[in-house]
Amino acid sequence: MLDRRQFIFQSLRSACLAAVAGSIPQLILPRAVYAAQDRVLVVRTGEDIPQLVRQTVAALGGMERFVKPGETVVVKPNIGWDRGVDLAANTHPLVVKTVVSLCLEAGAKKVQLFDRTCNDPRRCYVSSGIQQAISDLNSIQAELVYMDRRAYKELEISQGKAINRWSFYLPALEADRLINLPIAKHHSISTLTLGMKNLMGVIGGNRGMLHSKIAEALADINTVIHSDLTLIDATRILVANGPQGGRLEDVEVRNTLIASPQVVTADAFASTLFGYQPDQIETIVAGYRRGLGEIDLSRVQRL
Amino acid sequence: MSLSRKWRILVQSLTLLGFCWLFLQTEYRGTDELAYPVSLLFRLDPLALVSAFFASGKTDFILLWPAFLLLVLTIIFGRFFCGWLCPLGSLLDFLGAPLRRSQSRFSGWPKFKYYLLSALTLASLCGLQLFGLFDPLSIFLRSLTLAINPVWNLLANTTFDWLYQAKLPLISSTADVVYPFFRDHLLAFRQPVFLLTILTAFVFLAVILLERLQPRFWCRNLCPLGALLGLCSQPSRLQRTPQSDCSDCKQCSLQCYMGASAADSSHAAECIRCLDCLDFCPNQRVKFHFSKRGEKRFDLSRRTLLAASVGGVMLAPLAAAAPLSASYRNDLIRPPGATGESEFLRRCIRCGECMKVCIGGALHPDLLRGGAFSLWSPVVVARLGYCEYDCTLCGQVCPTGAIKSLEIKQKRQIKIGLAVIDKNRCLPFARGQECLVCEEHCPTGKKAITFDRHKDLVESEARDLLQPRVLKELCIGCGICETRCPVAGRSAIMIISEGESRAPQGLL
Ligand code: SF4
Ligand code: SF4
Repeated sequence: MLDRRQFIFQSLRSACLAAVAGSIPQLILPRAVYAAQDRVLVVRTGEDIPQLVRQTVAALGGMERFVKPGETVVVKPNIGWDRGVDLAANTHPLVVKTVVSLCLEAGAKKVQLFDRTCNDPRRCYVSSGIQQAISDLNSIQAELVYMDRRAYKELEISQGKAINRWSFYLPALEADRLINLPIAKHHSISTLTLGMKNLMGVIGGNRGMLHSKIAEALADINTVIHSDLTLIDATRILVANGPQGGRLEDVEVRNTLIASPQVVTADAFASTLFGYQPDQIETIVAGYRRGLGEIDLSRVQRL
Repeated sequence: MSLSRKWRILVQSLTLLGFCWLFLQTEYRGTDELAYPVSLLFRLDPLALVSAFFASGKTDFILLWPAFLLLVLTIIFGRFFCGWLCPLGSLLDFLGAPLRRSQSRFSGWPKFKYYLLSALTLASLCGLQLFGLFDPLSIFLRSLTLAINPVWNLLANTTFDWLYQAKLPLISSTADVVYPFFRDHLLAFRQPVFLLTILTAFVFLAVILLERLQPRFWCRNLCPLGALLGLCSQPSRLQRTPQSDCSDCKQCSLQCYMGASAADSSHAAECIRCLDCLDFCPNQRVKFHFSKRGEKRFDLSRRTLLAASVGGVMLAPLAAAAPLSASYRNDLIRPPGATGESEFLRRCIRCGECMKVCIGGALHPDLLRGGAFSLWSPVVVARLGYCEYDCTLCGQVCPTGAIKSLEIKQKRQIKIGLAVIDKNRCLPFARGQECLVCEEHCPTGKKAITFDRHKDLVESEARDLLQPRVLKELCIGCGICETRCPVAGRSAIMIISEGESRAPQGLL
């Protein structure tokens, strides 16, 4: 836990920043464009999670490739459920912590983390272990915050097929970098929840309404939210009763991390861990058609 | 201002602030167990003690011993609680001051509260607990929870939001700087919304506005707790001398705002030990000390007392003659750990603590679901909020044991109801659209909502649809499916009371 003084200081600081930032007019451009040279993929396995994260990111060229000194970074783990670490419903706190450390080491000015949770956010932040992991970092540059209800904004989705407008969480779009940190899980409607689905955590609105056309809707949203790096936590995966699980029987330990600058490329590989072909997952197909990554793993450069 | 007066205002303000602080702590703050005894106010409440005592099942003295202590202290020192500690009394003193008229000839009905108390006690003895409606502490906390706090949050948040958006020079940036402090310490995590806000506010305002008729009108004429404490103060030796007006001066009966002084000592039970008479006695004759109490007692009319008691006794069968709510409706869902319905109604003091603490916004005050006399008792309104799977807070704050405090393992086993799907509204059934939001959120580990794969022809296009189905043995009725169902207005999946753990009949 933060001590009180530190806490008050941080609150004041973020309030001041918000005040300053708020006074500068901003232009928001939907900007999900992935370059061809980003069609790369790293898959690593190992039991020591911090080391595994470091190896994986190093293989991609190190965090310096993604985060430049002085930049602001949003790290978006999955903290959706009021479940403990062993139940594999949320991104592993050590994955989150190590990624944040890497960002700070690369010179990030500020790293912010948040999720629009499904259960009560206070409980999710605590139960997931992520609140503790971030406060263990003891850095005032890294903060796990609750979503600020004032910071949502309705935006046009110019390439939208299922939806043309939706409410988005501006801090996720305005940060210099966005790092997507999902956990790989089973999900009844979208079969799996991976990187594309994880970005549902930075949108507003009645998300349940998206279920009726989930694949295209997720692709629509991903055309607006560009992530610089997707790192899928498959250290343990949830193979049934997802996305929130609750039974150890449904958890499989895989000790695996998957990383790619392209969200769909990472998702495509992750689907194979569950015994699927990427083209069996509608969301991935829809994402591929929008140019959000490669679905054919033979055409991907493995690093 | 005299010294005693200053002390009293200080003590009153501190207790009032203390209870407000406990109120703000009645919230999840990162640990499964609450750090403070947030419902202390009701554990001090003799009326809560009496109702728990009359209810079936054993009385929780572990919870309610402070109320016992208060009774003992009252026997020794008199009705000091009303003058020094009662938050509603203090509020009346503070808020009532500007409302009062300098000379009011209204003499009130000080005996009424004793009749009310006897009616309520007899009704409670016969099975109908109505203390909660009139308990001043319940009125105070209920108003805070259901009306004042939501309005305060709304006003504060709207102001902050507006300043945030308007970007006024200087003012907006100042507001943004102080906002985190408000957000973290003074405002609720989420804007509270409750049913019955208006009714509750109305009762509260009425109690305040009665100050216009007479200072402390509520305490003098209506308050059953005041009556109970007044009766208990009868043997008290801490007495005021002179015990009645002096023959050469009538200041006491003119100025005492409780009407505790008269030509004889018959009104002594009204004295709340405010000690103001030390101050206004022009001859410095008044003293408070331990001495024998005057002969003349409050003169309650036997007949009226009897009538009130008979009235109380009659109310119980009147309530019992009405059909049981469970026999004709299925939307009466009580919090997890609630005792059986009749014991629950007899224990619940309508304090609103559970509604304040409920993390999922599931608990709301009842109007009619549980019958005419379940007013303000907690019910789960799952369309507005759900019971969080791993939360046990309501049982922790309940001061009377109406909701039992549960271990997390027990809590997960408790069925508060059962989800049923309305196929006329559920998207996959009614419109051939994918959905399964309910299944996604179901928290029971092995999900209590499963689905069937169904080939369907939708607008002459073959579709493979997943249709939800509830597994009744697994469903605990937490209601998250009803809260999250994306269908507009009334949900396509609803919690009904069938099979709830506390009722004798199981699932069909
Ligand atoms: S109803 Fe459920 S969520 Fe609300 S306080 Fe009780 S246990 Fe917690
Ligand atoms: S969430 Fe509502 S509409 Fe959707 S499947 Fe469940 S019951 Fe039906």
